[in-house]
Amino acid sequence: MEIHSSDMGLVARVAHLGKHYGTGPQRVTALDDVSIGIRRGQFTAIMGPSGSGKSTLMHVMAGLDTPSEGRVWLGDDEITHLGDAALTKLRRRRIGFVFQSFNLVPTLDVMGNLRLPFELDGRRPNPEEQHRIGALVESLGLANRLKHRPHELSGGQQQRVAIARALATQPDVIFADEPTGALDSRTGREVLGLLRSATRTGGQTIAMVTHDPGAASHADRILFLADGRIVSDREAMTAEEISETMLNLESVAAGAAA
Amino acid sequence: MIAMLREHASTLIVSALSALFAVTLILFTGILTAAIDPAVIEESGTFRAVLMMVALIFIVIALYVGAIVTANTFSTIIAGRTRTIALLRLVGASSARVRSRVAGEGLVAGLLGGVAGFGIAVALCAAVTVWGPQLGWLPEGRDYPLFDPLALVAVGIVALTTWAAAWTGSRRVGRVSPIAATGAAVELPAEQSRRRPARTVWATILLVSGAALLAIGIVLGLATPLALLISFVGGILSFTGIALGAHLIMPPLLRLSGRAFGRGPSGRLAVANAGRFPERSARSTIGLVIGVTLVTMFAVALASYETMTLQAFAHSPALRAGLSETLAVTTAVFTGLVGFSAVIAAVGLVNTLSLSVLQRTRELGLLRVLGFTGAQVRRMVLVESAQMTLTALGFGLLLGVFYGWAAAQSLLGSQAGLMAPTVPWPIIGGVAVFGLVLALVAAAAPARRAIRVSPVAALAAQ
Repeated sequence: MEIHSSDMGLVARVAHLGKHYGTGPQRVTALDDVSIGIRRGQFTAIMGPSGSGKSTLMHVMAGLDTPSEGRVWLGDDEITHLGDAALTKLRRRRIGFVFQSFNLVPTLDVMGNLRLPFELDGRRPNPEEQHRIGALVESLGLANRLKHRPHELSGGQQQRVAIARALATQPDVIFADEPTGALDSRTGREVLGLLRSATRTGGQTIAMVTHDPGAASHADRILFLADGRIVSDREAMTAEEISETMLNLESVAAGAAA
Repeated sequence: MIAMLREHASTLIVSALSALFAVTLILFTGILTAAIDPAVIEESGTFRAVLMMVALIFIVIALYVGAIVTANTFSTIIAGRTRTIALLRLVGASSARVRSRVAGEGLVAGLLGGVAGFGIAVALCAAVTVWGPQLGWLPEGRDYPLFDPLALVAVGIVALTTWAAAWTGSRRVGRVSPIAATGAAVELPAEQSRRRPARTVWATILLVSGAALLAIGIVLGLATPLALLISFVGGILSFTGIALGAHLIMPPLLRLSGRAFGRGPSGRLAVANAGRFPERSARSTIGLVIGVTLVTMFAVALASYETMTLQAFAHSPALRAGLSETLAVTTAVFTGLVGFSAVIAAVGLVNTLSLSVLQRTRELGLLRVLGFTGAQVRRMVLVESAQMTLTALGFGLLLGVFYGWAAAQSLLGSQAGLMAPTVPWPIIGGVAVFGLVLALVAAAAPARRAIRVSPVAALAAQ
């Protein structure tokens, strides 16, 4: 009998996932036999030094990239072999994204960006969604910025718009890739607070890729990647503990390489 | 190297086309002069001078359109190279130095294109002089010249024009701050549409005075054919005003036509893209407006002239037949000559669209991440191209019909009274088909490139 992800409380799951680039002697392994699930309603951080495969893992889980081997599920639906059109629909309806920067369509104003995921589906937001957008705009302090275009906003404001857009469709999971990477530390903390409260009060599932221990310390659960493998799976930790774990990882990696 | 070639492909093509056109016209002037009957050889000096004058006018038009296209291409290239330029500035290159190096690339492209165009033109003329007499196009046994020092001058002028246009187009180099090299992943600031009071004032003055002269010419035309001279000056002034004021005129027109296209997310984004850099859109469309206006103007002027004159010769069928034939040939020749400028303008439009899609890789990736399908991205690029092409086409057709009518009316108003313009539908239809094909061709390559952009491209930090 097939095990359902939902029975395990998971919204996204990969099993025996491998991802390689190139062939022969140039073959590079980005992910090596990774099996992991993102738990519903949790704020999960995926940590690792650069080149550890954390971004690749996120791309595959979010249907942006295809695995070389293994299987990928979103909810109970296997997406391993879905074609481009199906993956596109999936991203549109069931996944939200927040990146380090360049999150917003430059030619659309804030409201245009917030409504884009609905319009891509060929419809207007229904009254309930309309209400949700309004509430998000209000709580993120964007009410007097709705007619502004992205280049007229500060980095922190742009990031808040991106979060509002990701939350507006109530996706199964939001993937955030270094969402604080381009922000000053105070604005970064605000953004992390927003993501955290979306999980706490809104029940939103979020998976965040980062290499910043400070950012990861806001998460409920932390996955450590090194050399394409999950090396540690931990509950919430302080920034200091995370830094220490990371330093150990790097010395282990350096030892392995030597 | 490949990227450089791609960037300069349009400049190479435009300068090659300009040189081909100029050298062919110059050499043909010599060939046609040699072809006329030796019995009237004493007059051939004047004949040659007249031909040369006419050729010169068309060469200048082609060079002008070519210069606009090249300047536009270079400012698009600069926009795409902002980060590299910032890096050069960061390590200590002065902006004048960076700019003259960019302009130098223009000179090289112009020279290469010019020489290529020269070669093709000479080959073309050689072919005509070899096979022309056999096919009965040219009288046999004449000594047809295959070289004219003026042709080399023309190649030089093409290269220099390209250089100057590249220099003009690269003026934004001065505004690239070295800091842009360090800003890791911030969206580059948009090419601001600057207010240019002097230019706006000049454009307005030219437009108003030109329109006034045109009105006077049309009214006076009801009394004397000499009114054409006034209208001619009015036409040149007002049209220069339009070309100069393109940054004022084209963006509102694009917004207006955008309403017809802007449905659905693809359409709305396409329209927003076309209006995103108003100056760039204005520059890339005005070339096509000029080309289409000129083609339409000659066609409408000659057709209206025909209608009016046929009325005057209503009693003489023989004269009418002769006139129709002459005018048909004249229309064909003029359309061909002016059409060349339209082709050059078209190359420019295709190139602008191509480069701007190339520079938008991250944005296209973002759209794909957010749930745009490949088909929706393709539609967006197609609509953007169609909107720009059709707007330029429509505006050019309107202007052309008006100017053509004004010319015919000023010349023949005294004979025929006030008449509506005669619109030569086959030519108008041809222009419209040309525009539709152009819109599709202009979009084909960029659209293909656009749907190949992977969603992950948006996440890569360049």
